[in-house]
Amino acid sequence: MLQINNLKAKIDNKEILKGLNLEIKPGEVHAIMGPNGSGKSTLSNVLSGKKGYTVSGKVTYLNENLLDLEIEERAHKGIFLAFQYPLEIPGVNTNIFLKTSLNAIKKAKGEKELDAIEFLKLVKKKASELKFDEKILSRQLNVGFSGGEKKKNEILQMSILNPKLSILDETDSGLDIDALKIVSEGVNALRSKESSFLIITHYQRLLEYIKPDFVHVLINGQIVKSGGSELALELEKKGYESLS
Amino acid sequence: MEKLKVDFNKVIESLKLSEESINSRKKNFNQFVENGFPNKRVEDWKFSDLNQIISSNIESLSFHADLEPGEIDETTFIDKFEHNKIIFINGSISKVDFSFEDEKKVLITRDLNKNATIKEVNSLVSLNNALIASYIGITVKENYSLNKPLIIYNITTNNLKSTAINLKTDIVLENNSSLKLINLFDDNSENNFINTVQNFDIAQDAILKNYKIDHKKNSNIKYSYNNINLKKNSISENFIFSVGSKFIKNEINCNLNEEYSSAFINGIINLTNSQHHEIKTNINHLAENTKSYQLIKSVLNGNAKGIYQGKIYVDSKAQKTNGYQLSKALLLSENTEFDGKPELEIYADDVKCSHGATSGNLDEDAIFYLMSRGLSNQQSKELLINGFLLDAVEKITDIEIKDLIKDMIGITE
Repeated sequence: MLQINNLKAKIDNKEILKGLNLEIKPGEVHAIMGPNGSGKSTLSNVLSGKKGYTVSGKVTYLNENLLDLEIEERAHKGIFLAFQYPLEIPGVNTNIFLKTSLNAIKKAKGEKELDAIEFLKLVKKKASELKFDEKILSRQLNVGFSGGEKKKNEILQMSILNPKLSILDETDSGLDIDALKIVSEGVNALRSKESSFLIITHYQRLLEYIKPDFVHVLINGQIVKSGGSELALELEKKGYESLS
Repeated sequence: MEKLKVDFNKVIESLKLSEESINSRKKNFNQFVENGFPNKRVEDWKFSDLNQIISSNIESLSFHADLEPGEIDETTFIDKFEHNKIIFINGSISKVDFSFEDEKKVLITRDLNKNATIKEVNSLVSLNNALIASYIGITVKENYSLNKPLIIYNITTNNLKSTAINLKTDIVLENNSSLKLINLFDDNSENNFINTVQNFDIAQDAILKNYKIDHKKNSNIKYSYNNINLKKNSISENFIFSVGSKFIKNEINCNLNEEYSSAFINGIINLTNSQHHEIKTNINHLAENTKSYQLIKSVLNGNAKGIYQGKIYVDSKAQKTNGYQLSKALLLSENTEFDGKPELEIYADDVKCSHGATSGNLDEDAIFYLMSRGLSNQQSKELLINGFLLDAVEKITDIEIKDLIKDMIGITE
């Protein structure tokens, strides 16, 4: 599904990713762990198309050159980034935003757009699965949401948009244990043979709830070690320093 | 100016005016001749040199009114809700329709000798006093609230003969009465100067909701002056939708004359190309426990220029004043200009007054967030701009009119 070969990314002439290689197959869950400043967020930004980086190397996604695609084209083709810090968008109603987003993706895929009633039905169902208070959806997007509500909102968007490749950028940060469980259940519910996940995290905690198939350690812009889920536990005990 | 004198004499001759009225008009006319159009050397006009704007946009000014009321094109009417109508076409009254109201409770006069003269504000108000050829005065009687809003349609057509129009309306709200008013401009003429003056006297416990809508793109140059006098416990809510004209300066002078009166002035300036719009307010807190609130949101594209000059004056008698103003502007291209000039002049010591101003571009991270959800760059920007404007639109307390303005902006909910 996704092949990353020798990916390098610079911002303000500072090299953050220094030749990263990774392959994700359909249905797999990969976790990337690493200390602060190792390039975790840069990787998620580059994969979702954020401007401002000078990028080289090759990224193939579903047989296309991902780096040639615009931000919204990547979303249309099934890439979803759950933000570490979801933005507050004043004046934009959450429901309207969700509907605009879903229909933009459906339209790009040549599928029938949902009308208001079909959409509300879908949102109600997904929100109740995530134990997400529907009232929040009539509020302005993320404005005045608690940290946990913002993250749940990301997972709600993910479950509505039903992406092929979901990138979760430190989704566990700032979550209490109850919210962490709900968010993890939301992710686990989306696991399937077709959908893949790239989970970026600082701590092993999230991986107790979402069991990864592979764990990679990112240090100083490169993957220095890969293994199974047991690698996360090892890191938790020994710390990153043992690897650097 | 010679041509102007000829026009002035023609206007005076064509109208049946009292001796007193003629003398007053002559005095006003001389005041205009002495001062001419305001230019940037006048402090309040330093961001908008009207003299220069008029001379570069209008070849020759003519004021002789066409007194033939034109055909009414009903498709320009608002069809979202029922309303009373006053229709000005090319400056003359073509229809007055208060069929939703009790005729004993809403008194109408068109007598030019009765219009309330606003004295010596500036040369444009003098010009208006001197030259208005049709006029309407409305009095809403005590304890009466109009059943439906009133829309004053200010329509110009492409067969307008003179290049300048003066419009005048006086509105009196007696004790405990209320009126929802929309001033709607519908411009089909090109390169005209339209000078509108309105006076409002709002008595105790009365409520005026006053919405000005200039939404259709046009090449006209406009000045609008509103004078609002408020008595005890009365409310004046104003909203300015400033989008359509090539140039417009909306000036509101509001006198909070008695205690517990309050004034709200909110608005949107949304411009493209070389449009140039200004909102200028003077809020005069002249009694205790008076309140004012202003929020202006501007979005500028192309080479557009937006200006907000907001003045809050607090008299030494006006203790416990609460005054607030905020201006936020989005500058979407490098060639736009926004000038904000807040002024607080405070002579009382127990007051709460504050002001704020911001300007900047759209947040790139917010655009990235929306695009990562499949929205195009254009869609993302529109959503953010509408969200930015919504804040001010939400201040409109009348739901029908709020929805009308949301529709005009393209905000869907």
